[in-house]
Amino acid sequence: MRLVLLAGVLAVAWLATPTLGQQRVATIPIRTDGPKSLDPAQGSTQYDNQACSQVYETLLQWKYLVRPLALEPLLLAEMPKDRLNDDGTQTWSFRLRPGVRFQDDPCFPDGKGRVLTADDVFYSWRRLADPQYEYENWWLFDKAIVGFNDYKESQAAAVKGGAKFDYSAPIAGFKRLGDLEFEVTLTEPVYRFLYVLTQFQTSIVPREAVEKYRTEFATRAVGTGPFMVKPGDWRPGERITFTRNPNYREELYPTDLPTDPAEAARDRELGFLADAGKRLPLLDRIEVPFYVPDPPMWLDFNRGKLGLTQVPSEYQQEAFVLRSQRLKEAYAKKGITGHAILLLDFIFRGFNMNDPVVGGYDEKRKALRQAIALAYDLDEINQKFYNGTAIVYDGPIPPGLDGYPKDGQAPESYRGPDLEEARRLLALAGYPGGRDASGKQLVIDYYTSQSGNQEEQAQAEQRMVEKIGIKFNMRFVNFSELIEAINKNKAQMFSYAWGSDYPDGENNLALFYSRNKSPGSNAFNYDRPEYDRMYERIRVMKPGPERTAIYERMRDMVIEDTPYIGSLARYRYYLVQPWLRNFKPTEDFHNYYKYLNVDDSKR
Amino acid sequence: MWSFIARRLLASIPVYLGIILIVMAALRVSDPVNAYLGKNATKEQIELKRHAMGLDRPFAAQYVEFLGRIVTLDFGTQTRRYESWKYEGQNVGKKLAEAIGPSLSITLPELCLTTLVSITIGMLSAYYRGRWIDRWLMFLVVLGMSVSVLVFIVLGQKFGSSWLKSALGIGWFAASGYEPWLAWSKEPLWGVLPYPTRFALGTWAHYCLLPVLIYVVVAIGYDTRFYRAVMVEETTRDYITTAIAKGASKPKIMFAHMLKNALIPIITRVMITLPFLIAGSILLEYQFRIPGMGKLIIDAIKDRDFPIIQTFTAVFAGVFILSNILTDVLYALVDPRVRLS
Repeated sequence: MRLVLLAGVLAVAWLATPTLGQQRVATIPIRTDGPKSLDPAQGSTQYDNQACSQVYETLLQWKYLVRPLALEPLLLAEMPKDRLNDDGTQTWSFRLRPGVRFQDDPCFPDGKGRVLTADDVFYSWRRLADPQYEYENWWLFDKAIVGFNDYKESQAAAVKGGAKFDYSAPIAGFKRLGDLEFEVTLTEPVYRFLYVLTQFQTSIVPREAVEKYRTEFATRAVGTGPFMVKPGDWRPGERITFTRNPNYREELYPTDLPTDPAEAARDRELGFLADAGKRLPLLDRIEVPFYVPDPPMWLDFNRGKLGLTQVPSEYQQEAFVLRSQRLKEAYAKKGITGHAILLLDFIFRGFNMNDPVVGGYDEKRKALRQAIALAYDLDEINQKFYNGTAIVYDGPIPPGLDGYPKDGQAPESYRGPDLEEARRLLALAGYPGGRDASGKQLVIDYYTSQSGNQEEQAQAEQRMVEKIGIKFNMRFVNFSELIEAINKNKAQMFSYAWGSDYPDGENNLALFYSRNKSPGSNAFNYDRPEYDRMYERIRVMKPGPERTAIYERMRDMVIEDTPYIGSLARYRYYLVQPWLRNFKPTEDFHNYYKYLNVDDSKR
Repeated sequence: MWSFIARRLLASIPVYLGIILIVMAALRVSDPVNAYLGKNATKEQIELKRHAMGLDRPFAAQYVEFLGRIVTLDFGTQTRRYESWKYEGQNVGKKLAEAIGPSLSITLPELCLTTLVSITIGMLSAYYRGRWIDRWLMFLVVLGMSVSVLVFIVLGQKFGSSWLKSALGIGWFAASGYEPWLAWSKEPLWGVLPYPTRFALGTWAHYCLLPVLIYVVVAIGYDTRFYRAVMVEETTRDYITTAIAKGASKPKIMFAHMLKNALIPIITRVMITLPFLIAGSILLEYQFRIPGMGKLIIDAIKDRDFPIIQTFTAVFAGVFILSNILTDVLYALVDPRVRLS
């Protein structure tokens, strides 16, 4: 009998053991040295976002499969409701999802994660006003919430005077209605506030963890999200491991598809609905190695070690047919799928509008900038430096957003090359043949960073403007010096780029708002009162035809004034192994690890 | 001997201080704050960051503060923080300590293998000087050193790792990456000395053997030529003629006589290499993503992480000076004719 019992126990143990080995695991790379911090208040890069978004959660999120992007509640029980107040302010009412718990951690009594409340939301947002975190993400709330700026200023003064930052001091715009309900009052009805609530920097963190771990909180993530990073599982610059959070609430795989029927059909065909309705996260563990440089990542993907990879430009032609951008047979035969996503890029060459030579708004100065723009051949730059895969377009609003011109072509534009017109405008500007009245050649200080192929690009641009008689005085500097030159108004012309923080053209139009002048995001120092008035209007408008019409007017205004030469938007290419399921490439949000799944039979 | 060591140490102090001074001054030629804050930082943020980095203080104060850290060996503790600028919340000392293991995982085997192989080849070549065996050995080692290490890395990763796996199903070598292969005791010996409790040699070989072999192929050229020249010189000495006349066997002449007398240049060469054991193999660590000191310093330079660069310099310069003194001491130990004075 004992023997039978022993055999039974051993059999159970033997059967139970393999379940450890049957963990659902995927390895997906980050193509850089990874995050620099796991604290949302100190994070800023895409890679900080990628790490924080698996552990921490925001009030809202983007629907995973739906395109164009649409919002949905994440930590909220429902979408927030807004009302306009008599004084012109706007109040948003929020109701948190009941029963959301932080992961278990020694920072809590008995190590058990507690329930999330409205206090946690206010605490997490107040951290952005704490000088200890150097206001890295204050821009998200700057001037947005009633009394928040005053709170920040008064606390900064108090801290300077030796006092401690007071996280309980009142803020007029924050109102707690209960454990799960609260209101936030905005200084003006700004629609982009909802986008801010999807940004990982506004994720909710527990006060206990921040106070227990102090500066080490940047390495000890304690969130409500689907995954955890156990101590030691983040090896900076090397890898990070996400482990399923056993306390994660019941959150189900979505069923909503893109509004475009063709795209919806493709999503179905790719099996994106196979796990619809299943509880998230679908994987037990996700290993994320960081790759710098690229070749090992490419080799590891080809060995089948990685579930997906971005396609570095040097491997573009190995994976895709150059003309059609179709996936090559060798990869398709293995069941690998190729995906291309258009980035919200605004790649441009800027002018400093404060500069006495290239800046200014009179007809002559405008004609000079237009002439230079017409000498540029952006298609050639696209062919030479982006394998012809980028999109060349007019205006500062990238493809896919309201305000983007039809087919990328604005009604009026100064997109070159049109050397004849460029020469005519150059003469009009007082530089016939590129020379001023004294016969001196026009030389422009052109700042560009030394990274990547920027130097080669700048040489190509030099050859383009030489055709109309202008010379660039090349200043190849490191990125830090480039920023400094722009911030200090030293750069006459510069090569720069902007990636939208959220999918709304307003984010790009803000680049020309005079209050954002250097060292702010308006690197051009563009300053037109009429433009500012329009910007202030659109900021408080909801999406719709009326707002889009103003976007277009603003776009055309900057095209006419030509404070920049542009624009280009890149595609990013991904390859996905047949065994990795549910990966719908996006660069607009990063909390999608919870939807990923694996089919080990296809490995 | 001790007074010699003390004198040499004292004489090294100005050099050491000068090295730290030059590195700290060179780092501060351009402002790193913009690189950290990105394009849209406000003046307020810039000021706060500069203050947090300690760059708002006079250079002399920053220099003295850092020297204080060196003297007290304080590169960050749980309570007294000295954090990396890039990785907030992480002490510099801990980051350096974590990087030494991976570096030694490749540099120690590299040094041992390269030294053993190149001394052996050098002796063989010297002994058979001018004959076909000498010519072939020299041709092969010079070939290894003539090809760029990058070529070996690319070929190693492509064929040694990827092709072996996809064509033959042999996954001996990783294309890149690193996993710890030694587990250390939780309770250190005598309270201070941690000792390894587990050796996972398979893991070591998977991640480290390929870079080690690449290094050996490239480095034996330089070392073998040097050792051969040393041995050739030894073969012309009278004691070798005497040994041959007395009928000593070839192995005895080579290993008992030649090798012993050639120890000084061998020690010099090995000792010069010692500091680089700590510094790691920059290119190999970077290309194979081995999180050692070489990768750490390259990343720190790229990210302008001054605390890491300064501390690395302090450690490296210190080890370099100490190993030079140790070399002189070893001369006296292996050759009684050398006097330490």
